[in-house]
Amino acid sequence: MTTFILAAALMVCTSAVNEPQMWPDTAVVLDDVTVTDRRQLDFQMHSSQSSVQVSHDYLQRNYSGSLMQTLQGIPGVKAMSIGSGQSKPMIRGLGFNRMAVSEDGIKHEGQQWGDDHGLEIDQFAVERAEIIKGPSALLYGSDAIGGVLNLYSRHIPDCGFEGSVQIIGRSVNDQTGISARIGGLKGKMFYNANMTWLDYSDYRIPSDSIQYYSYYIKLKDRRLRNTAGRERDGSVMLGYAGYRFHTDLRVSDSYSRSGFFANAHGLEVRLSDIDYDRSARDIDLPYQWVNHLKVLSHTSWQMDMFTLEASLAYQNNLREELSEPVSHGYMPKPDGTLERRFLKDTYTANISLNILSVECHELRIGANAEYQKNRQSGWGFIIPSFETLQDGLYITDSYAVHDGLKLNAGVRLDHANTHIHSYRDWFKTPQEQGDSIYVERSSELRRPFNSITWSAGINRRFARWLIKANAGKSYRIPIPKELGADGINYHIFRYERGNPSLDPEESYQLDLGITYESDRLTLQFDPYVNYFPNYIYLNPTATYVEGLQLYHYSQAKVFRWGLEAQMTLNLSTHWEAEVSAEYLYARQLSGPKRGYTLPFSTPWSAQAGLCYTFKGGFAGLNAHMVGDMNEIVPPEKTTPGHWTLNLQAGKQLKAGKNAVKVLFQANNLLNVRYYDHTSYYRLIDVPEPGRNLTLMIALDF
Amino acid sequence: MKRKDLFLLLLCALCACSSSSDDRSKDMTMPEISGKGIIPTPENCQAFGLGDTIRFHYIFTDDRELGSFNIEIHNNFDHHTHSTSAVECIMEPAKQPVRPWVYNKDQRIPKGQRFHEALFDIVVPKDVDPGDYHFMIRLTDQAGWQQLKSVSIKLVDF
Repeated sequence: MTTFILAAALMVCTSAVNEPQMWPDTAVVLDDVTVTDRRQLDFQMHSSQSSVQVSHDYLQRNYSGSLMQTLQGIPGVKAMSIGSGQSKPMIRGLGFNRMAVSEDGIKHEGQQWGDDHGLEIDQFAVERAEIIKGPSALLYGSDAIGGVLNLYSRHIPDCGFEGSVQIIGRSVNDQTGISARIGGLKGKMFYNANMTWLDYSDYRIPSDSIQYYSYYIKLKDRRLRNTAGRERDGSVMLGYAGYRFHTDLRVSDSYSRSGFFANAHGLEVRLSDIDYDRSARDIDLPYQWVNHLKVLSHTSWQMDMFTLEASLAYQNNLREELSEPVSHGYMPKPDGTLERRFLKDTYTANISLNILSVECHELRIGANAEYQKNRQSGWGFIIPSFETLQDGLYITDSYAVHDGLKLNAGVRLDHANTHIHSYRDWFKTPQEQGDSIYVERSSELRRPFNSITWSAGINRRFARWLIKANAGKSYRIPIPKELGADGINYHIFRYERGNPSLDPEESYQLDLGITYESDRLTLQFDPYVNYFPNYIYLNPTATYVEGLQLYHYSQAKVFRWGLEAQMTLNLSTHWEAEVSAEYLYARQLSGPKRGYTLPFSTPWSAQAGLCYTFKGGFAGLNAHMVGDMNEIVPPEKTTPGHWTLNLQAGKQLKAGKNAVKVLFQANNLLNVRYYDHTSYYRLIDVPEPGRNLTLMIALDF
Repeated sequence: MKRKDLFLLLLCALCACSSSSDDRSKDMTMPEISGKGIIPTPENCQAFGLGDTIRFHYIFTDDRELGSFNIEIHNNFDHHTHSTSAVECIMEPAKQPVRPWVYNKDQRIPKGQRFHEALFDIVVPKDVDPGDYHFMIRLTDQAGWQQLKSVSIKLVDF
């Protein structure tokens, strides 16, 4: 044990996710008052699923280019980066449509399927987050196989008027940003408003050139050409918070525009007449822009024996991807630069009734409905236009047998209807017999899907130990791309063909969670096993279609297991050490890629850190280690391991009646050149950002 | 103590799962496009006349089993360049295509082959735009690994 502690002390630390918060904030005050020294145990007792709470303080301290990069330090959570300002979430190796993101209880609906599409949420508007690692279909329906990222933006101000301003600067991409928020409470009425403005230039990598195949791409000033971007977000919320009745309405809009690396759009190396090097701040072709508008209403009515909740939401996601037109095969050079445009409208309604009965049972009955309408245009075809209507009904019961024993179980029924539209090329393709035709890429398809999912778990607490187990089934309905794609994906230069006969993907998972907590030591250990009888897999085949390798959607049995472990040790009143590690194993047990892992599998990783806390401030050093990734599947590349050293420090200052926080981060201190196996740019051998200094000044008033 | 044992047991079971699961050897190597033992054609910067034939001669190898190959020829009048060769060819000035040549041929390599010598002729039509073209060779193996080779050629109106 002593050697372990010593090793931990020698290594260096990240700030714990669940550590006591240093600065006052609505959520914190309560924590400081009610919780003595068993915070972790109390929190873990709430649910039999593996979950992590993320405080506003953690989000500020770890601020990074995108929300997912900010959350990346949490074991089991990963960001799939697309440049320096966007990233996709991944929980335990599952991303895209295999996990759900919800904001204030409503599932966030963008174009999750795309590997170059980010999250489209203002990270400064997020008050706190909760990450559920494991199957969560019960409450969230389709998609929540890998887990759920719950974001909470709703916030009731404490006083008549309050606000905050945050100013951010980052060195790796010369990012400058400002985010401001005001809120107020008058009687039972309250309001909130926030605004975020971010600008960044092409990011720097520790390399003068990129070598892809045998093609050398020289970089000017070690910057990755055309990866600059900007983000503009805003939201307004109005609400009424009574003793029994609460209602609020929030309107938010998130806009971002960012460039793609100019010399290799997708996998094709390209030269262009555009003078990319004239400015590191401008955004030239190819680039994408997206606007996400959300209107969300939430109402709850709380009585002694029950609580009734209803949420209604409308989301509008508009995305355009623009690039220099080129001819390919029989496609002549298109007229404009609009390669793809997606317009998606989503209407969601959730209603739930919580009944507290005398027998220590908490019964919850709920229903969700979601209607999606997606329209596509542009000269590049990848997914057809579609409409999907999904509805689900669930019932769960949580039974507290006694203080130290809690049982829960639930079942859910789902029904979905997908209608995919027919799509034909806008250009003609010569046929072996007869005239040239406009080839049909996607045929009209209507398919219903039904599913039954369930979950059951147990929590058992003994003094300082807590043990929990959860078994659950999750599912997701195949997305239109998986059912109906039949064309060239120009971003990756491959031919993708859907499979209209795919079944809903199902997943069974068994989770264990073990927590130990004493005054000095907190341990958290979360192993899991997971089985998919029919994982939907985009299989690279040996066949060519129209000059490109055919990738065909198929289904395979998949087995996975993994674990996350975390240890926090309070060495003294000032010093705290933390070590954490995660590992994931995946195997395809059937199908054309039997014996291989899954795409985007994450290598093992570990973090060790040491943190010093003093009055109103902290300083910590942390080492992040990532193992070699040799478990790959075509067309991936093996990725060597790496380690980086990171520093964090912060201090709270008094400015009259107000508090000013100064937070500083230095990532990749040694400017190590490394690759991230799950990065969008990995396939074209682009290394990750070099040394990055971040400074944030936050003023609360 | 009993519970601790249970956890140890579960942990062992987890580890056992990983070592006992299907781990038959997988194909982890890409196929290769080479000119071993032959004089490969076309080569980078080679010029062909309109109406002539381009002799295609390359060697395809894989450690397990070859899949298919594809030959695709498209114009590089806009100098978009995706050469996989270190040598840069001298190019004509950029221009707009009028009647560009598009050639696209997929071919399945007979089953079970680890070595395939591809040798055939491609006729260049007489009535297409002369100029800089890309000659793309794509090769897969049965596992779905893909190898690319891009050769810059020039079509000349003699």
